[in-house]
Amino acid sequence: MAGLYAAMSYGLALIYGVLKIINLANAGFLMLGAYVTWWLFTSYHIHPLLAPLLIVPAFFLFGWALERTLVRRVLSAEPIISLLLLFGVWLVLQNLAYVIWTGDTRSIETPFVEATVNAGGLQLAVPRLYVFAMGALVLIALQLFLTRTYLGRAIRATAQDRDAARLVGVDVDRVMGIAFGIGIALAGFGGSLLSLLFSFTPDFGRALSLKSFCIVVLGGLDSIVGVAFGSLALALAEAFGVRYMPASLQNLISFVVLVVVLIALPRGIVGTVRALRRG
Amino acid sequence: MLEVTELAVAYGDVQVLWDVSLRVERGEIVALLGANGAGKTTLLRAISRTVPVRAGTIVLEGERIDRSPSAHVVELGVAHVPEGRRLWPDMSVEDNLRLGAYPRRARAGASSALDYVYAMFPRVADRRRQIAGTLSGGEQQMVAIGRGLMSKPSILMLDEPSLGLAPIVVAEMFETVRRINAEGTTVLLVEQNVRQALEIATRGYVVETGRVVSSGTREELLGSDEIRKAYLGL
Repeated sequence: MAGLYAAMSYGLALIYGVLKIINLANAGFLMLGAYVTWWLFTSYHIHPLLAPLLIVPAFFLFGWALERTLVRRVLSAEPIISLLLLFGVWLVLQNLAYVIWTGDTRSIETPFVEATVNAGGLQLAVPRLYVFAMGALVLIALQLFLTRTYLGRAIRATAQDRDAARLVGVDVDRVMGIAFGIGIALAGFGGSLLSLLFSFTPDFGRALSLKSFCIVVLGGLDSIVGVAFGSLALALAEAFGVRYMPASLQNLISFVVLVVVLIALPRGIVGTVRALRRG
Repeated sequence: MLEVTELAVAYGDVQVLWDVSLRVERGEIVALLGANGAGKTTLLRAISRTVPVRAGTIVLEGERIDRSPSAHVVELGVAHVPEGRRLWPDMSVEDNLRLGAYPRRARAGASSALDYVYAMFPRVADRRRQIAGTLSGGEQQMVAIGRGLMSKPSILMLDEPSLGLAPIVVAEMFETVRRINAEGTTVLLVEQNVRQALEIATRGYVVETGRVVSSGTREELLGSDEIRKAYLGL
């Protein structure tokens, strides 16, 4: 599960880091990613594993356009305004999905989705392994992009000190549009991966998105490495937690973790480590 | 090369600069002197286009830049090293420097510029892998100046480079500025440390409550009674 949690949370962390707004529409884009994967499969027979090739660029453009047209207008307003705007975007996406795809539960059934492999006596579900690998791959790709390219470094610089980024010639407005686009593309990618594991309705993504908030709080809101740690920590906590309590209480774990971290380490794991290093 | 004429700047309803004119010629070190809150930082920010200009013109190498975006001004050769250094605290020293070469014209020469900066600041070279936020104030100031030099600027604007540094480091800092200038970079220097700034400057402007109240060559300013009384404590 850690790979999946990471894939659906990077976007949230990236958008917060650069634009300093919380993307409440994240769940909507997760849901939309799952539906588009399903729709490409049932209507055009595009294999679900290939769907991200279309979803990632399309969602990037959608996110970029959304930032240019709507989000940009509320960036300098009070936080509540951007929260309401993005909450509204979520509601619109959700209701569009009801209109287009109805409220019926959908799932993707291919031989791949049901496959398992036997590894040393353990039965492992192939899609789970695949989702973990893809999540990890995207994490690595994103990390390389952010540390090795001028645009990636400009994104990190904008997140850490926007005015200083302007002074070395970074077009901060452009960077914000790109970061929002990447954030939305990652949500769509995460949703596409989710559709391989779960059935879904237009309301899909709500509980998972809350877990994303838990992860970015755990990891620190502006750190990609932190998101990876947070994802792993939450997935492990849940996996061990269900051994000792009813599975129906699984979602409770993330919120208990959230509350404990907010009280004990308000800067997140990475933020606390950094503060210690800076002394 | 840089000519500011009758500049006015306001933050909302609060006007900070009135009718400010100044000129910087190639190869000079021009000092902007004056008390805290006089508007010196705002003047640099107007030139680097990070505050809006209300009236007046700014011309760089014959091109009007008072309505240009900040990225364009950096591309034209202005490097602004802001007050308080403003490094990206969670990035390595080397990443901070490399981003200084962000303008397109500077990217091809980034590696040689990096060598130049490390040669100028050997202590920074020793700490290239360290996270910038962990450096001492003096080291951070060197990285901030180095970041400005990475874009191979034609004019380097330094805002209070000596602020918060130990006296011995301050002397070193002024020596560095003199050296950067001697190697061909024009410098516009904002300082509260008037005596040391005038020691290395060719000319200076004195700013008080948002207006230029006097200006002149180094010798003229050092010889002026008013300046000796108000800023040099003589």
